[in-house]
Amino acid sequence: MKMKLLCMILSTAMVAAVLSGCGNSEAEAPAATGTADEAEEQTEAPTAEEAETEQTEAPVADTGEPVTLTVLAGQSTTDAGIEDMIDEALAEAYPNITLEWECVDWGNDFQPKMQQYMQSGLPDIMIGKAQDVATYAPQGILGEIDTTYLDRGLDAARQNVTIDGKTYGLVYNALYQGVYYNKDMFAENGWSVPKTQEELQVIIDDCKAKGITPFASHMVDTWSIGNVTMQFAMNDVFNKDAEWGDKFRAGEVSFAEDEAMQTAYQYNKLIFDNTYPETFSTEQTDCDAKMVLGEAAMKVSGSWSIQNFLDIDESFNFGIFPFPNQTGDSKLIFEPNITIMTSAESEHQDAINCVLDVLTNDKDLAVEIYDYTKTAPMLKDVTPTFPNPSQEDIDAYASADQIVDVTLGNNQLVWGGFQEENAKDIAAWLQGDISFEDCLAASDARVGTSSAN
Amino acid sequence: MQKTGKQSMEKKLEKQYLVMVLPGFVIFTIGLIIPLLLAVRYSVTSWDGMSKVKEFVGIQNYINLWKDADFWSAWWFTIKFTIGNTIIQNVLALLFAMALDSGIKAQKLYRTAFFVPCLISSIIVGFIWLKMFSNVLPEFNEMLGTNINFLLFGSGSTVLSGLLIANNWQWIGYRMLIYLAGLQSVPFDLYEAAKVDGAGPISRFFKITIPMLAPAITICVVGIATGSLKVYDLLVASTKGGPGRASTSVINQTYTTAINGRQYGYGSAMSVTLVVVLLLVAMIQVKGLKSKEVQA
Amino acid sequence: MGKKKKNKEPMSAQPYTKATFMTQIVMTVLAVLFIAPILININYSFKTKKELYLTSPLSLPSSLQMENYRKAFDKLDLTHTFVNTFFYTVVSVLILALLCGMTAWAIARCRAKFFKFCYVYFIVGILIPFQALFLPIYIIGYKMSLTNTRYGIIFMYIATGISFGVFLMNSFMTTVPIELEEAARIDGCSVFKTYFTVVMPLLKPAIATLVIMQAFQIWNDYLLASLYVSKKNLKTLTVAIQSLFSAQTSDYTTAMAAIVISVLPIAVLFMSLQKYFIKGMTVGTVKG
Repeated sequence: MKMKLLCMILSTAMVAAVLSGCGNSEAEAPAATGTADEAEEQTEAPTAEEAETEQTEAPVADTGEPVTLTVLAGQSTTDAGIEDMIDEALAEAYPNITLEWECVDWGNDFQPKMQQYMQSGLPDIMIGKAQDVATYAPQGILGEIDTTYLDRGLDAARQNVTIDGKTYGLVYNALYQGVYYNKDMFAENGWSVPKTQEELQVIIDDCKAKGITPFASHMVDTWSIGNVTMQFAMNDVFNKDAEWGDKFRAGEVSFAEDEAMQTAYQYNKLIFDNTYPETFSTEQTDCDAKMVLGEAAMKVSGSWSIQNFLDIDESFNFGIFPFPNQTGDSKLIFEPNITIMTSAESEHQDAINCVLDVLTNDKDLAVEIYDYTKTAPMLKDVTPTFPNPSQEDIDAYASADQIVDVTLGNNQLVWGGFQEENAKDIAAWLQGDISFEDCLAASDARVGTSSAN
Repeated sequence: MQKTGKQSMEKKLEKQYLVMVLPGFVIFTIGLIIPLLLAVRYSVTSWDGMSKVKEFVGIQNYINLWKDADFWSAWWFTIKFTIGNTIIQNVLALLFAMALDSGIKAQKLYRTAFFVPCLISSIIVGFIWLKMFSNVLPEFNEMLGTNINFLLFGSGSTVLSGLLIANNWQWIGYRMLIYLAGLQSVPFDLYEAAKVDGAGPISRFFKITIPMLAPAITICVVGIATGSLKVYDLLVASTKGGPGRASTSVINQTYTTAINGRQYGYGSAMSVTLVVVLLLVAMIQVKGLKSKEVQA
Repeated sequence: MGKKKKNKEPMSAQPYTKATFMTQIVMTVLAVLFIAPILININYSFKTKKELYLTSPLSLPSSLQMENYRKAFDKLDLTHTFVNTFFYTVVSVLILALLCGMTAWAIARCRAKFFKFCYVYFIVGILIPFQALFLPIYIIGYKMSLTNTRYGIIFMYIATGISFGVFLMNSFMTTVPIELEEAARIDGCSVFKTYFTVVMPLLKPAIATLVIMQAFQIWNDYLLASLYVSKKNLKTLTVAIQSLFSAQTSDYTTAMAAIVISVLPIAVLFMSLQKYFIKGMTVGTVKG
């Protein structure tokens, strides 16, 4: 009898599924694309050939012909959710354009997805980080961005997404990286922002004497080790020698011999010795929560922590300063984050431009996104309205021209396959599994994957 | 006469059988075997996974594998993980099954309790245990005033045990069910007869239970070993191969090399090596265990 | 078929002694330990973000708020993803049931060399780590226009599931009496007719197990779905959950609610069809 029941369930399920499946494919096609003859495009991936045939049938422009653009978005933790905002703004300005989003995690899934699509044909629009331009543009697959839209952004945004005079990325926002500190705690203890390693050491010692953890950190996330190491390297290495990475590949410098780079690695040890004992089991959210609760004084991090800070306590008072280097002239680091790239082969160039237009022209949308992601604008004349206690610090460094774009370092020593792998060795070294020399030697041995090209 | 008739009949049948096998054969070949062959082809190139050119480099990738310390350490971790799993899962699953078969009440309830974790996908299992080790369990230290190190994912020396706990939590129930079915199929009279012959419980276990369970043991050992050698999903949401490289499995290493490191050809060589090892292990185990079964 | 009589009622055969009682206690403790992580997970899913950081992980949520579930429901786009996953699962599993039975039977019955080879050939598939082959798998799929289509993903589920299916069905073939088939053949049935009229009905329990086991695999699949279906209206539940995971790392509570939502259907399926499930996993392990 059970058997019969099972058979019945299964056959009902089958019928139901087939019905719903058929119903779906019919009902959804128009809903998603706005027109029935787009159904063909719907089932096909965004291939170049396919797009071409579409093009001959229906040349798309602002004429109102419905277009669906595919978008691959490699997002950081703070970005998820902006796709809905963009959809909404686009629907108002260009109701004929629909975006077909594919949102993935930038760190883990963006590169595999790009590799996958390079076999078949890129999506019309890709959203990544500024450093992606250096990886993919030399493959000849990215389209140039029209100056109309670039001109609406800050000039600083253009530098590192321009290759041989052509700009392939539209940088939308920026993250600031440095040492976030508990302003109230600093005031109570009479600490001032440290400019040199000695001054930093004084604060660390005082923290320890008072039972405060000097640094919050979450080394369980290898990416955070890689991230802070690049911050250190920017101020101790790249600010002194802007071509260090290229020289490294030319064999002129190496990790095993370059003292400045070794110092940058060693700062990890300084953090490790002065953070939670369970840092290798502490995740970012827990780490940030502890900092907000006053258990730790400082955290080497980036703007992505702000969302967390304010989520836990909207009145948390924090500031930011660059991690002091050996010479006491550290600059605050900024990283162009959301960067919009387009496919060179897309036949919907007009529609793509409409999207770029919305992104660069719709100030309300921009403010909404900046407020949501708690990031800094890279568009002219747009000011986010979210409360950011660290803004005054950022402004101070900016007006003193003490700001440096980390893309410089990231372009020379790529993240995937190099920085990321080095970070694993650094973790192993901090844990005492390998020696410092082995850790440096491993980085040197990886020279072949240090560049994307 | 009859013979030739039989032969042509057989030929006819064979054709019909062939038609039955063919659809599955074709789908399987296209979906899995051709990609495998493609991987073999890529493994002799220096392809980065992106560019159009795939330069032929011969067996250079395989030679480099020999010298790749990270690759070997990934193998070492995978082997330790496999051996640990094979022992723990088999022993505990068998013990659990025997306990459930010993006539305790509400057997079904226990069965469900132990089995439920295996319904959850490995990615989520990793995530759950990440939270358990770093947030939930340390809370017990505070409550009880003890000082047990629960931060198993936090150090290279304990991460293996942490992963073994997570993996066995997920799969013990599954293996237990297999053994339970085996145990319940052992005729009770066999035990009775042994009892009459004066065999003690231990001797009965080794003389009757184990031999009768031999097919189940084969399935479990092979399943656990091949499953553990392929471990990946569990790591993705938990340790991500860390701290450092302490829990980097072969597939993990393959993936980061081929994708993040843009060395698709080299990564393919790694996966080809893994497939070969998996085949060998499965073959050896099946042969070895089957021969035992026959003797038993 | 030499199946030994099952020891149907072990409880009556074994007296409930002190030792049994002790076992009962030990197993109870273990069962509670096994279930605890799941309960803690469910508990998390009802907490607010603040509670998560500021209260003990073991404490109960202050109120039974459903906000996380509402959010997870929204973010997972359940109306699409659930229907899609269900559709892919059901169709793939039914085709698999048909194909695997046929294939396994032909392999078991035909003595020609090719069929022996086939068996090994299919079994190899169980061992292939297809995580490591994802680029070739995608390339093949793309070249054959299978990507971003419903039939494409179903095709791949069949290709990857058939190995295990053939293995499973093959181990069941010993339970099908050859005499019946021969009788059918003497009556003039073709191989196909024999299979569909005589063999398949006998394989019903095997097919039921196969269906359930594969359903659970496909329901939980992440890799193939992420490779083959990227369009929003074709996405599956696991893909949606994974992006929720990676995007909302700071939002465990929602992630936890999503986990509960995704596990629930498969858990219900298991509870109601436990018998077949167990049969499927224990196939070939019982000496007959």
